Amino acid sequence: MNYTVYYIVHLLTMFSIYAILGVSLNLVVGYTGLVSVTQAAFYGIGAYATALIAKTAGFGFFSSMLIGAIVAGLIGLLIGLVLSKFRDDYYVIVTVGFNIIAYGIFMNWHSLTRGPLGIVAVPRPKIDLFGLHLDFNNNLLFLALVLVFLALIYFLARFIAKSSFGRVLKAIREDEKAIQVFGYNAFYFKLAIFVISAGMAAVAGSFFASYLRFTSPNTFVLMESILILSMIILGGLANLKGSLLGAFILVLLPELMRFVGFPNEIAAEMRQIVYGVILVLLMIFRPSGIMGEYKL
Amino acid sequence: MNIVPQLILNSIIAGSIIAFLAVSFNLIYGATRFFNMAHGTVAIFGGYIAFFFFKTLGWNMYLSAILGILAAGLLGYIFDRIIYLPLRKRKASGMIMLVASIGVFTALQSLIQIFFTSEFQTLSDISVHDRLYTIFGATITQTQIYILIMAFIVAICLIIFLKYTIFGKAVKAISDDEEVAKIVGINTNKIIGLLFFIGSGIAAIGGIAVGFDTGLNPTMGMKLLLHGISAAIIGGVGSVYGAFIGAFVLTFVANFSIFWIPGEWQEAVAFVLLIIFLIFRPRGIIKR
Repeated sequence: MNYTVYYIVHLLTMFSIYAILGVSLNLVVGYTGLVSVTQAAFYGIGAYATALIAKTAGFGFFSSMLIGAIVAGLIGLLIGLVLSKFRDDYYVIVTVGFNIIAYGIFMNWHSLTRGPLGIVAVPRPKIDLFGLHLDFNNNLLFLALVLVFLALIYFLARFIAKSSFGRVLKAIREDEKAIQVFGYNAFYFKLAIFVISAGMAAVAGSFFASYLRFTSPNTFVLMESILILSMIILGGLANLKGSLLGAFILVLLPELMRFVGFPNEIAAEMRQIVYGVILVLLMIFRPSGIMGEYKL
Repeated sequence: MNIVPQLILNSIIAGSIIAFLAVSFNLIYGATRFFNMAHGTVAIFGGYIAFFFFKTLGWNMYLSAILGILAAGLLGYIFDRIIYLPLRKRKASGMIMLVASIGVFTALQSLIQIFFTSEFQTLSDISVHDRLYTIFGATITQTQIYILIMAFIVAICLIIFLKYTIFGKAVKAISDDEEVAKIVGINTNKIIGLLFFIGSGIAAIGGIAVGFDTGLNPTMGMKLLLHGISAAIIGGVGSVYGAFIGAFVLTFVANFSIFWIPGEWQEAVAFVLLIIFLIFRPRGIIKR
């Protein structure tokens, strides 16, 4: 494959993965008003679960992805139970803590995760159905697969947001006490959306591990959660198209910075400085982001 | 060998370092009512400035430490002027302030990474042997004794300062109700600006202490802050005594947990303790 094409396919794949993460987080932060900074933990759980199950148990990619999503959902359920006690500042601080603990587990549980070495040779998906042979070692095909899943998750999220369930979430965000007077138990709704969001983030993790054929703790740090949060705030809270736009901008931005000649050695740090400054400027001048329908 | 005396000593030293973070976090939180997520990284920034003068330029150790504290204080003040003050003027919610401070944290940590790399840097002088003292079979270094004394001095100064000066009374008025404080003629923005300066400076003492004790690392700021916030919550948010009590409770529990849980999970133990407190005693040991 031509190098330029390869590069564009890579960027689009990364965009799709981040878009899945953004859409999943927007359900919690934008629609329900719970500022969670732990999405990278579920992203990581999905990546590790898929990598481990596909490698050691020899399951196919899709079944490992499903198991990964279920595992992330179950852990999300536990974390969501703890989180249900908190709101606002305390909610944020507890989610930050969870991300740091999750990173610590990826790093320290050597017998399972191999610590900082990470897990190598994670297989790519394969489809062998009704005489149809698709081998996703081809990056273009892999991109197509991620896009299909992005579309699935996007429409699932849109369905949730537009359903009566989604309207209750928005009501919880606006006034939790009022919606409880109407007989809705906010606890179950908040827990449910948190679990759904965790499962969706795990799908992104599965694709990430399989795309790079590798997963290590350093991807799932607190900064990653902050990046995903920046994407959805930039794009706009409670707007799913906004999450796609935010992911698109923040995935492309570092590449543009590279073209205008930022040195490569400090590229990662420069990128984070730009993310940080964007976040501060948004909070001061436009807290609702580009197309947000809700501001913090 | 009995390790209990050493564990007690380690807990007290770690506790005093956390206390700098907790008490300064409380100071700023009391007046502004938002969780400043950049606070720990500002503390580390102070440590790095001290490192720059002491190690890179070879200046006097005490002078470097003072410069580090002043630099962090100034940085905290500048952040308040250009970011948090405009937000307060726009009546921004606590969440907006919090997310803005996450932005500040992200940018500042990366800036430190660019200038000082991600490697561990230590402030202590390896060529000069730290003098060792033994108390009840536990070893303590001279630097650690200095850290303890500093924590004690800061605590006493703060308590006197907040209780007996007009500034301290103004701070208390703002903590109780900023609007009313404004009405009775207190220049709240000036006082809060000063609080950012003092609070960031105190946090920097913690950052410098870490530099001498274990060494500095850019990502350490957030962990320090989490411990500081945990200590503040455990002790009772907004109280000076509470911050110290919380810091020692936290470090004693984390240190003594090694009898049952391997050392690398101390982080998790401290965090579980925080959650237990948040659920069963959310206003901390000392209620305000």
